[in-house]
Amino acid sequence: MKLEILLAVFFGGSLLTYLLGKISKRARDILAVLVLLFATAGITSLYGKSSTATLYTGFLDFPMVLSIHPFAWIFALTIAVVGLCAVIFSWLYIRKKGRTDFFYFMMLLVIFSMIGIVLSGDFLSFYIFWEMMSWSTFLLISYNRGKAIAAGMKYIVMSVAGSLAMLVGMISLYTQTGTLVFEGISGSLNSASSGYLQFILILFFVAFGIKNAIWPLHVWLPPAHSEAPSPFSAVLSGVLIKIGTFGFILLIYGIIQVQVFVNLGHALFNVRNLLLLLGAVTILIPTFIALFQDDAKRLLAWSTVAQAGYIILGIAYGTSESLSGGTLHFFNHALFKSLLFMVVGAVEFRTNGVRDLNSLGGLIKKMPVTFVAGLIGVCGLIGVPLTNGFVSKWLIYHTLIVNHSPFLAFVALLGTWGTILYSYKLIHHIFLGQLPRKYEKLQAAPVSMKVPMIFLSLTVFVFGVLPGLPLHVINLSELGFGMEPLAINMWGVVTGSGSIQMLNIATALILGGIVLWLFFRMGPKNTRADQMDNYAAGAPVPADRYQYSVKFYDPLTRMIAPYLKDIADNFYSALARGIRNAGNGIRRIYTGDVGNYALYIILFLAILIFIQLYWKVW
Amino acid sequence: MVNPVLFIVVPLGLAFAIPLLKYISKKIIRFVPALAFLFNLVFALRLIPVVMDHPVHVHIGGFIPPMGINLVAGPVGMLFVVLIALVGFLVSVYAFHPVKEKYEDRYHILYMLQLTGATGVVLTGDIFNLFVFFEILCLASYSLVAYLGNRAGIESAVKYLIQGSLGSGLILIGIGLLYGQFGTLNMADIAGRIHSVQPVSVYVPLVLFITGFGVEAALFPLNAWLPDAHSSAPTTISAVLSGIAIEVGLYAVLRVVFTLFGISNMMGFFLVLGVLTLLIGELCAFSQDNIKRMLAFSSIGQIGLLVFAFSLASTQGITGGFFQLASHTLGKALLFLAAGYMITRTGSMEIASFKGMGKTMPFTSLAFTIGAFSMVGLPPFMGFPGKFMILKAALHDGQMLTLILLGFILIATVIEGAYFFRVVQVLYFAGDDLPDRERAPAAFSRLVPIFLFTGLIIVLGIYPSLITDLLDASALELLDRPGFIKSIIP
Repeated sequence: MKLEILLAVFFGGSLLTYLLGKISKRARDILAVLVLLFATAGITSLYGKSSTATLYTGFLDFPMVLSIHPFAWIFALTIAVVGLCAVIFSWLYIRKKGRTDFFYFMMLLVIFSMIGIVLSGDFLSFYIFWEMMSWSTFLLISYNRGKAIAAGMKYIVMSVAGSLAMLVGMISLYTQTGTLVFEGISGSLNSASSGYLQFILILFFVAFGIKNAIWPLHVWLPPAHSEAPSPFSAVLSGVLIKIGTFGFILLIYGIIQVQVFVNLGHALFNVRNLLLLLGAVTILIPTFIALFQDDAKRLLAWSTVAQAGYIILGIAYGTSESLSGGTLHFFNHALFKSLLFMVVGAVEFRTNGVRDLNSLGGLIKKMPVTFVAGLIGVCGLIGVPLTNGFVSKWLIYHTLIVNHSPFLAFVALLGTWGTILYSYKLIHHIFLGQLPRKYEKLQAAPVSMKVPMIFLSLTVFVFGVLPGLPLHVINLSELGFGMEPLAINMWGVVTGSGSIQMLNIATALILGGIVLWLFFRMGPKNTRADQMDNYAAGAPVPADRYQYSVKFYDPLTRMIAPYLKDIADNFYSALARGIRNAGNGIRRIYTGDVGNYALYIILFLAILIFIQLYWKVW
Repeated sequence: MVNPVLFIVVPLGLAFAIPLLKYISKKIIRFVPALAFLFNLVFALRLIPVVMDHPVHVHIGGFIPPMGINLVAGPVGMLFVVLIALVGFLVSVYAFHPVKEKYEDRYHILYMLQLTGATGVVLTGDIFNLFVFFEILCLASYSLVAYLGNRAGIESAVKYLIQGSLGSGLILIGIGLLYGQFGTLNMADIAGRIHSVQPVSVYVPLVLFITGFGVEAALFPLNAWLPDAHSSAPTTISAVLSGIAIEVGLYAVLRVVFTLFGISNMMGFFLVLGVLTLLIGELCAFSQDNIKRMLAFSSIGQIGLLVFAFSLASTQGITGGFFQLASHTLGKALLFLAAGYMITRTGSMEIASFKGMGKTMPFTSLAFTIGAFSMVGLPPFMGFPGKFMILKAALHDGQMLTLILLGFILIATVIEGAYFFRVVQVLYFAGDDLPDRERAPAAFSRLVPIFLFTGLIIVLGIYPSLITDLLDASALELLDRPGFIKSIIP
């Protein structure tokens, strides 16, 4: 499949979907899915290929190059699959709301812009697709109105700031190397001074860091993820912010070689150490902020920020094992986080928009499939063995421990501990505990929501048992970066200093499970007791009163909340206020009195003459 | 090949034919401006390949320069002629649906005079002739700002008049000083001999010109008339003022600085002035609640960016500046037309009153959104190549001052993004409980220009190479001063 044709179908298909929506809603829904199915199939067919094609040269004679290589392939495929699941999930979710054609159009535009980004072979196309993704994301985040408007605003302003930094960086690279094509740049950067490379890195780090939500550039993410429509939150959290990850890997491994990157800067201000430190902070603070959230989607959003920290740790560490860990964690996170957002979205859909954890509970009886999906997603998030998160986290821990970074390893483990706490809170508050009486008539999630959830749950499980599948592709991409690939097989990693074989772990766990099952089987049979079937001195408490989900983790909250102020957010708010005040102040220049205005003209003239008389500039 | 003088004569003649045509039919006069500028557009486009090869000179009355008045249709001039004709044509189509029933003939006469003046300014090779056309442009603008006859319009027109006349007075003094020293009014002739006299004695006319033309070009702090005038003028006139008039003022400044005086050591000052204008414009726009005022302040900001780009004084910078100028002309004309059309529906200029416009006026809202995105410089719209080229030129320049100023430009762009995106949000997403307003029937003559502007912005955003040849030639004309002088006075 030619890349040009693929892209043409993508964008043509998106537009066609929009137009078809004016005629028939059902046809539109089907077309959207078909276009994405085509995208998935088309990208799958490109497996293992490496090719480049010049798409277009009409933009100021800069060639716009498309290229496919294993590293781009795994990102493109993940985006297409998550996108497909999200669009199927939207079928019913979005039907209740207005402006559905617009929603589908933007959704497809976001997904295909992302695929365009990862398939770009030069910075110009990268930037153009990047910006198209940014503004379509902005429109989608604002879609829900109300609070979403402020969230969208926060997003787009930060995004514009980031992309301007990137624009400056890329044009600077152009003036330095005379080309915008990745290969050409990396070829001629060898002679660049380390100061220049640091300047470029900082510019791109701002751009990618904002998308990837690295602390302290993360502030747009929590409101945006929680206010966006849930299917889009899944895309946003699952793949969109990982475009920043993609950029990081491309920049560090593809353009500036990793050996150069690792040694950049002085001991204390080493760029790599700085990035590792930011990664650690990004894990630590957001994990504990997530713990205190009462809004299900906000909790997941903060969790996304924290998980992005793991990915950054993996990428910035700069060994092939850490890169495998980081990339694999990207891949895994895309699957389980989009799954979790869908779970929350399904609950939100059935309860008419309730996301407040404190008012939910006991839904396991009403939405069992959703519960299982949520449980699997949470297991992946924590990194329970047999789910995919286990392998990628193992790789990251292993790198940190083997290479003697005890502090980072400790932070990573602490982060996982926090992850367990908030994951439990999420599952417990929604599905366990008491079922509030108002939800007694609740229906299970509709089929169009169950299908993507079941599919994603399966992938979480399959890639947990067979991590060799994605690791193989990651190895191919590491070869492409000129790195020593990891020794792997289908079941895991066979490194010298420790190996992980999911076959053994799975066998052990399954055997252990069978033993346990047999053990319980041998005991006396359970009898099912009703909740009210107990002694209550003749005054049974209504079931509703058993709600104990409010003020979860209260002592812990009281202990650490004072240290978890979102300093970054406060800073940006102050900045925005400052600019507004400055604007209001400067407006005073235009007093409205024409006498003053005439004075300005004369003063300007006088100053010009004065400059000449005094300094003789001309 | 068409004689460039027709670009001035045809609209001028037709303008004065309107009072006569009025007696034939009241309706017919609406179509006269469109006809005139369509003529200009078609023939100007056909002339472009010719002027790319060599500039076309017209000697009025057959006098060979430096005697008499001559017209110089070089790439710069033709670029402006095409832009003026394009905006003039599309805006006059918008005015098929009259802005105000009363005095419609006067509106059309003044409108044509305004744009004829602008065309004359960019085509002439004579400094006094330039002043005359400039005055035609300004006088027509003053009266058109007051056309609606309401208090705000008249007040701002008077303010505009006072400041504009002050500027014109300064220009006239400058011309007098130059004429006294050189005994000629031909720009090429003066330019050729400018270094033959004491620098101080040409410095005074230079600053007089910069200040005088700077008023119309809306340089800070000479631009106080602009927000009032642009916001209280009728929609069509706002579009022309923002899209054409200030650019023509900028053209005059450029001509004076680059060609007439050929100075290079004041560029640092202009770089700073440009960024200052940009920052102040964007900051003021950021805190506006009135859509037309916001757009007006945004024009100030854009002019600042253009001044910055031109002051880089490199081929890349000037090419980028011209591209951004074209992009601003089309984008701002589109934004003013779209906003004006929405204002006629809501009856209010408050941004907040545009709630839910995305539903009631989907097409206009979409056009506004695309215009706004283009202004901020998002691909695939026309603002992006412009911003790209300017950044490229600034980084290529690589001096410390330029790089620091570049940082401020980026900040200003973020601010610009913030206020444009806010409007887009109001159009589509604000207001939860809106009454389900019906989609109002659309006036065809109003949608067509909006549609064409939008189309141009997208086409040129995707395929900017369409006009870069002309822009490169224009940059060369501005930078190659000896060549320009030689082509007129061999």
